[in-house]
Amino acid sequence: MDASEIRDRIKRVICSVTSLPAERIDDTTSFRNDLSIDSLTLLEIGVDVDYEFRLNLPEDRFRGLDTIAQTIELVQGVLATREPSAQPG
Amino acid sequence: MSGREAVVVTGLGVVSSLGDSAAALHAALCAGQSGLGPPPALEWTTVGCRVAGALRDFRPERYLGADANLRPLDRTGRLLAAAAGLALADSGWTAERRSGMEIGLVAGTLFGSLATVSGFDCRALTAGPSYVKPLDFANTVFNAAAGQTAIWHRLGGLNATLGGASAGLEAISFAAQQIAAGRADVVLAGGVEELCAESVLAFARAGLLCDEHPIPFAAERNGFALGEGAALLVLERASRAENRGARILGTIGGDGRRFDPSRGADEQAIVAAVADAVAEALRRSRIEPAAIDAWSASASGGRLDLAEALGVARVLGEGAVRLPVAAVKAQLGETLGAAGAFQVAALIESGRTGRLPGIPGLERPDPRLPMALAGPAARELRPRRGLATSLGLDGQVAALVVELPEPRP
Amino acid sequence: MSRRVVVTGLGAVTPLGIGREVFWSGVLAGRPATGPVQSFDASPYGVDRGAEVRGFDPAAYLRRQDPAAMGRASQMAAAAARLALADAGLEDVPQPGRAGCVMGTTTGEPLEVERFDEALVARELDQVDRRFVHRYPSPVIPANVAAELGLSGPTAMIPTACAAGNYAVAHAYDLVRQGTAEWMLAGGADAFSRITYSGFARLGAIAPDLCRPFDRNRRGMIPGEGAGLLVLEPLEAARARGARIYAEIVGYGLSCDAFHMTGAHPEGEGAARAMEQALRTSGLGPAAVSYVSAHGTGTPTNDRVEVVALVRVFAERAPAVPVSSIKSMIGHTMGAASALEAIVCCLAVGSDVVPPTANFEEADPGCNLDFVPNRAREHRVEVAMNNAYAFGGNNASVLFAKVAP
Repeated sequence: MDASEIRDRIKRVICSVTSLPAERIDDTTSFRNDLSIDSLTLLEIGVDVDYEFRLNLPEDRFRGLDTIAQTIELVQGVLATREPSAQPG
Repeated sequence: MSGREAVVVTGLGVVSSLGDSAAALHAALCAGQSGLGPPPALEWTTVGCRVAGALRDFRPERYLGADANLRPLDRTGRLLAAAAGLALADSGWTAERRSGMEIGLVAGTLFGSLATVSGFDCRALTAGPSYVKPLDFANTVFNAAAGQTAIWHRLGGLNATLGGASAGLEAISFAAQQIAAGRADVVLAGGVEELCAESVLAFARAGLLCDEHPIPFAAERNGFALGEGAALLVLERASRAENRGARILGTIGGDGRRFDPSRGADEQAIVAAVADAVAEALRRSRIEPAAIDAWSASASGGRLDLAEALGVARVLGEGAVRLPVAAVKAQLGETLGAAGAFQVAALIESGRTGRLPGIPGLERPDPRLPMALAGPAARELRPRRGLATSLGLDGQVAALVVELPEPRP
Repeated sequence: MSRRVVVTGLGAVTPLGIGREVFWSGVLAGRPATGPVQSFDASPYGVDRGAEVRGFDPAAYLRRQDPAAMGRASQMAAAAARLALADAGLEDVPQPGRAGCVMGTTTGEPLEVERFDEALVARELDQVDRRFVHRYPSPVIPANVAAELGLSGPTAMIPTACAAGNYAVAHAYDLVRQGTAEWMLAGGADAFSRITYSGFARLGAIAPDLCRPFDRNRRGMIPGEGAGLLVLEPLEAARARGARIYAEIVGYGLSCDAFHMTGAHPEGEGAARAMEQALRTSGLGPAAVSYVSAHGTGTPTNDRVEVVALVRVFAERAPAVPVSSIKSMIGHTMGAASALEAIVCCLAVGSDVVPPTANFEEADPGCNLDFVPNRAREHRVEVAMNNAYAFGGNNASVLFAKVAP
């Protein structure tokens, strides 16, 4: 899965959870500062991203994520460990 | 309670299958229109529900703002928040007017949101507990809609949720008493219930749903139809309403509440519970039974309709024969936690317009029904002292007297 | 009419045991009743602490109804109601037409909806219980209690989640005070469930070991279950029949944060307003309060905010008022919590002993009052304040006092 598909799917999750239009969010938009997303919503984003890609991560792997770029990196990292033949990015 | 210290109604907010204002709802009721139709395409099509009162075109953004993030609110929360916005506007409690004060909210509901609770748990069952949705968890509690609505509209005053199918009526008297006791100034009171596949399934399995049409009090009645919606009254002291030049739509009178320990199994027990509740409401209102000139009944087409009528008749005596009666569940369906509030809204609008809705389809009333005037046609009359009764699913009975103002010249 | 209202009976079904005496002695001993979850497999959660009621046999308490006809929360509530009435010397259920039951809950009968969901997921719709609508929703709990006792007075459910017990006691107090009822049962009940556990686990709110309210190293709450019921009657009637009086209810306060569904207002503003309204309506000042039964869930946020609110209300006197959380022992019993805590307040008033906050090892410098660490203490309790805060921002405070002559 390439980064752009990962980005699209993450964005869809965030837009669905926050009702924000896709144009409001780019790779470096800060969830906490720019979008004022509260902790419950951030948690839901983490759960839904995990569900989207079936990452099965422990809860605290999502804490601290604050941008799409960071989320893409996390997702790519996990997927890479699952499919050793796939090339990330 | 009378005069300046009385608790009065200064606004109504309603989202229903027959419109999103009390006036539109009432006009539709009087015209014999029905909010019932084929149930929305639900996931389980073999459930045995032929008719339901869904809000087919409910657009929460219309009431809550086009840019608002609605995700945190489930349907129940959206219905209640929409009704709250409408009620605040209708009563003149704009954001500026209410800044610096705390407006309260008391809402009745039976299920809260069964769709949310069930959806939350089904996700755990199918995907595993780590995938349950946190925003949904917040809405699994019965008081979620009242909490969400308070956040949405910044209602920091008294906030309570009452649970049950009679809770919409109970909420009104609960709120009125808190205002009378000086614990609250202005309170939105009423109820909410959503229609969802899960509740349709549950009631269908219970064998409580009608075949084709719900006809309250009919000899051939065979059940009710489920409905949904939210209705809120704005309550405040008469002195405050007068000081700010607000319209006074009605005055909240005395209430009565009883429980039938047979839970509906013994007709005599329900009749007694209804009679005692009504008698207490009259006593606390300091009025005689003969003063009641309109009745907004809980009757839904279900089994308890007749016992409810017999209970009212036991108190009103001969006055029951000529008592005009409305039964809004014929056209809205059984809206559970919202029902009692819809019933009171109908009384208030009847007082304002001089017309009481009829009961469409009621051509052959139950032969034991004491109320000879019960029938399909709307009736010209100006009720001054209306009675509302609400029966829950498990033996709860609530009664409330609402005094309606003299018509304005 | 406005009559003085007292508490004359206490009934409790708790993780510490069943019955007032067992419950109180467990509370005074500071014994945590939390442990590994037993009623379902907790391994998917990453945490496994719970506070379940063990060895509860509803048939031993119910006389009129078949326990199988109701869910677990109702069973515990009906049992606690029977215990409370026996405790009050009212087993013969006098004046049943003028008495009722007000209860609070968070989840109603969750095991019923879990069965419902299992049928949905298996696509076996004909396995959905035909009695589901009469078994699951919140009003069934007080209905089951009232039916068990044959009561036909006002009966209501106030499902304001973790503050519900206080709401129920407050409402029943009003009904007796105003003469709408001659006596009332009031309290709360909630049953342990995977739904509740999943939610709190998902929020990361469950402590991995013990519930340590106000401790510097507190890591969360522990879900529990139970039922607490109180008998309320007019002071004059209680005196006339020579009843033992635990305490008088002298006032209550309700407020709403209108801030966030699951997190308290960071300055404890709503909590402070509820306490202030309770004091104002009882004609008491903060100086009159001898003991506070805290909400004290053990989560980092709740406890910190609760202390902020207490300092707002009690000001420089705050460090001198003992504050303890019995959730340290019985976990968070949800809708039963503030009812069980009300029972503790009544017993504290009656016996002049304040219960401890268990599992307290290290004070949190940012959040430091007298939490009665680990050991119960003799302390004259004229007035006890019971505080409860809920999802949805519902806050409730109830005041219990020694009966002034």
